[in-house]
Amino acid sequence: MNDKIESEYVEVGDIDTEAWNEFAQAQGWSDGLPMIAPTEAKVARFTSAVVADNETFAPISPRQVVPTLQSLAANAVMAGCKPEYFPVVLAGLRAVLQPEYNLHGTLATTHPCGQLMLVSGPIRNAVDINCGSNCLGQGRRANAAIGRALQLILLNVGGARPGDMDRATHGSPAKFAYCFGENEEASPFPPYHVRKGFAASDSVVTAMAAEAPHNINDHASNTGEGLITTIAGTMSQVGANNVYLQGPCFVVLGPEHAQTMARDGWTAETIQEALYERSKVHVSRISRENLESWAGQDRHPVADHYYPASSPQHINLVVAGGPGKHSLYIPSFGNTAAASSRINLPR
Amino acid sequence: MRIVNPTFGQSPAGAETLKSGAVDWAKDPILLFSNSKPNARELLEGLKGRFAGIRSTDGIDFVWKPSASQPASAEQIDGAARRYKAALLALGD
Repeated sequence: MNDKIESEYVEVGDIDTEAWNEFAQAQGWSDGLPMIAPTEAKVARFTSAVVADNETFAPISPRQVVPTLQSLAANAVMAGCKPEYFPVVLAGLRAVLQPEYNLHGTLATTHPCGQLMLVSGPIRNAVDINCGSNCLGQGRRANAAIGRALQLILLNVGGARPGDMDRATHGSPAKFAYCFGENEEASPFPPYHVRKGFAASDSVVTAMAAEAPHNINDHASNTGEGLITTIAGTMSQVGANNVYLQGPCFVVLGPEHAQTMARDGWTAETIQEALYERSKVHVSRISRENLESWAGQDRHPVADHYYPASSPQHINLVVAGGPGKHSLYIPSFGNTAAASSRINLPR
Repeated sequence: MRIVNPTFGQSPAGAETLKSGAVDWAKDPILLFSNSKPNARELLEGLKGRFAGIRSTDGIDFVWKPSASQPASAEQIDGAARRYKAALLALGD
């Protein structure tokens, strides 16, 4: 990043798209993909989309500077957002700025976590967020651009520059864009945000510093009990931060798995409780050196087991995706939270 | 073409930068700051041993973050800035 540019506006001359992208790349503003130039006119369209939003922002780590609405909008423009996506981006930023999220730790870590954004509520359909088939993959502008915008904000305003303040050993594809919607229409359970205490009419972003999704393939189990066995077994891994830091994780049930479990009488709460108990890791699977290190950090097993979540409620259960016998396990950074923020929509 | 600077941000209210001046490594109090990852403490102890060969180690102290996965608190950093002229950070892992 060129720290000599300190004003809110930059005159870049009469340059074409290719030259603009070369300039932005040289400044350290890019994630490596081409970006749209955040002209004053384009940024103004975004800020006018959130004119009723008067909430302030906390300083963004690791630079610890307070963003302006213009600088946030500039990143949303560069990411390819439409103006109507901008309230979702701002809610995502407010979620990661909640103290329990530990944004600084999640950005500066060597761990490969990106900022997962789960969108719940009516806004999903209003801005065409993909909640169904391939919802965590390519192809839908809202998912790609909203997730990318948050990452660019953390890079450019926050200063989490790879190899500098972002110390990730490998990083992750999840650090390009990591946004999806809850498939409320295909879910047998109350919507995620309603289970967290929001109104059904609210639109909410929930963020978590998350690893890329781990697949849970189960084509054969035709009972809830069988699926619990497979999901808990996938969660029970010794190389995840969760095993010793605990904290939150996500289990994203594919609609077919969710329907099977609901048919057999499972609720979101009983699934969380069963997964919590049955995903615990026996100390015999953990290296002696790790056991010693964790004991030195005052992290001790319970009845010879480590639990990969702080409580059943920290296993965040959501239904998303399309047809197919797959679900997902998404471990977290550990020392973070699944933080939710209501989206402030224009009245 | 004029663009909006995507990196622009304002210093939070109350933020200020102090200049500490030149450090006298032979005499000034020095803080050895660990990020609480494995081997950070060992790195700093090695540094302290090197200092012992050239100066008194009185005034050379250790401090560590409460958790490797969280930043040092503002109170911890402010306290270090008040008491020490320089800090050496070990990033163990």
